[in-house]
Amino acid sequence: MPEHKTATLEEFEAAREELLAEEKEHTRRTDELAEKRRALPWVPLEKQYELETVDGTRSLADLFDVRSQLLVYHFMFGPSYEAGCPTCSSMADGMNGVLPHLHARDLTLLLVSRAPIEKLQAFKERMGWSIPWASSADSDFNFDFGASFEVEQTREQMPPEDQLPPIAAHNAKATGTDLPEYISEMFGATTFALQDGTVYRTYTTTGRGVEFLMPYYPILDRAPKGRDEGDAFQTWIRRHDDYA
Amino acid sequence: MPEQRVGTQEDWQAERDALLKEEKELTRRGDELTKKRQELPWVQVEKEYEFETVDGTKSLAELFDGRSQLLIYHFMFGPPYDAGCVACSSITDTLAPNVPHLAAKDAKLMLVSRAPLERLQAYRERMGWDIDWASAGGTDFNLDIGFTSTEEQLKPFLEGEIPPVVEQMAKASGTDPKGYVTEVPGLSAYTRKDGTVYRTYVTSARGLEPAMAYYFLLDRTAKGRDEKPGEPHWLRRHDEY
Repeated sequence: MPEHKTATLEEFEAAREELLAEEKEHTRRTDELAEKRRALPWVPLEKQYELETVDGTRSLADLFDVRSQLLVYHFMFGPSYEAGCPTCSSMADGMNGVLPHLHARDLTLLLVSRAPIEKLQAFKERMGWSIPWASSADSDFNFDFGASFEVEQTREQMPPEDQLPPIAAHNAKATGTDLPEYISEMFGATTFALQDGTVYRTYTTTGRGVEFLMPYYPILDRAPKGRDEGDAFQTWIRRHDDYA
Repeated sequence: MPEQRVGTQEDWQAERDALLKEEKELTRRGDELTKKRQELPWVQVEKEYEFETVDGTKSLAELFDGRSQLLIYHFMFGPPYDAGCVACSSITDTLAPNVPHLAAKDAKLMLVSRAPLERLQAYRERMGWDIDWASAGGTDFNLDIGFTSTEEQLKPFLEGEIPPVVEQMAKASGTDPKGYVTEVPGLSAYTRKDGTVYRTYVTSARGLEPAMAYYFLLDRTAKGRDEKPGEPHWLRRHDEY
């Protein structure tokens, strides 16, 4: 650990009290944004999407299961990947733990990827997750929601490798594919609502907007060294059974 | 489901882009607060505490398990409890799967409670968690940090009207409101340098929400957290729904 100023308990508590006021303000602002998200208009889906599951082909409406809200995590697992993206896997670890609580609040959670269902199922078993996972291999679903791009297009348009964050090449290798194939898949979360048989899109996020699915970050944000990763962000993340 | 305005994809995109600006601002503000947390002074932990663990009695320094950062979740499971607090159990559903990732970033995350070790271990097995849990039952560790309340501190609360949610949670843990609220949920962070242990951060109440991942997923749904004052709390242990 680097050198750091030390203090008496009284001094610490005074400084902590001051920061607490700012933390509370941040919490209230978080509440405000949740309210603003709920105020976004709903968009009825015009297309009928059919996804592959272990139980056969299902429509998006079917995948709500018995609930009226669905959160899809666009898990990066493209057709050419040999294994799921390590960062997405670290997120699924956390999601898997809280499934029963989400179900109790009328929310179904679903992973969707473009790899064939057999590959997804085998990886899910390896990781020991119970979250349902559907393949959009034969559907426009991923493309329409910005979660996949045509590989040819990526090859033509991608910036030089040294202009991409180090995590891109790192995770391409970890998933057993090449860089264009890796970045042709995109991570993100989309939420849907089902009302009177119509499916509506209510919210989508990506980029740092998915940090709400990475509880290790806010926990590290409370540890003395913080995230401690600089520009090489996420390159320390392994699948939970890949840590030495 | 609440009544909702319906829009076209273009309407949605325009409003979503405007909201994204505010979301990014909040993310950056979160980064600033992290920086401020890291600037807090460290406080030397002068007292020697002894914890009971499955590997025998350990000091606070030994709980670091070879890492330079220690994060303790003060899990409400006091001596009179039959089972762990329901809300703390839902928090542990988030914490346990994140243990290996935190360990990779030089941070040991574990639980500490005042109930005897055997009861903590049995409950951990029931819940299927892979996270270390130590008993601080024989020390003043929780009391000193304010995560166990004294009779005197509790007096005004117990003399007032007990909120139904406290009755509900106490009952779910097989104790009475007094037994239940004697324990306080919290997170404390420590570091170690040259053989000395320092406390670096402490939080409680809504400051623990980062460890309640389900809330942030619900914050992105149409119905949100959907908690109404006066209603019984919806949380259950994951095997009790």
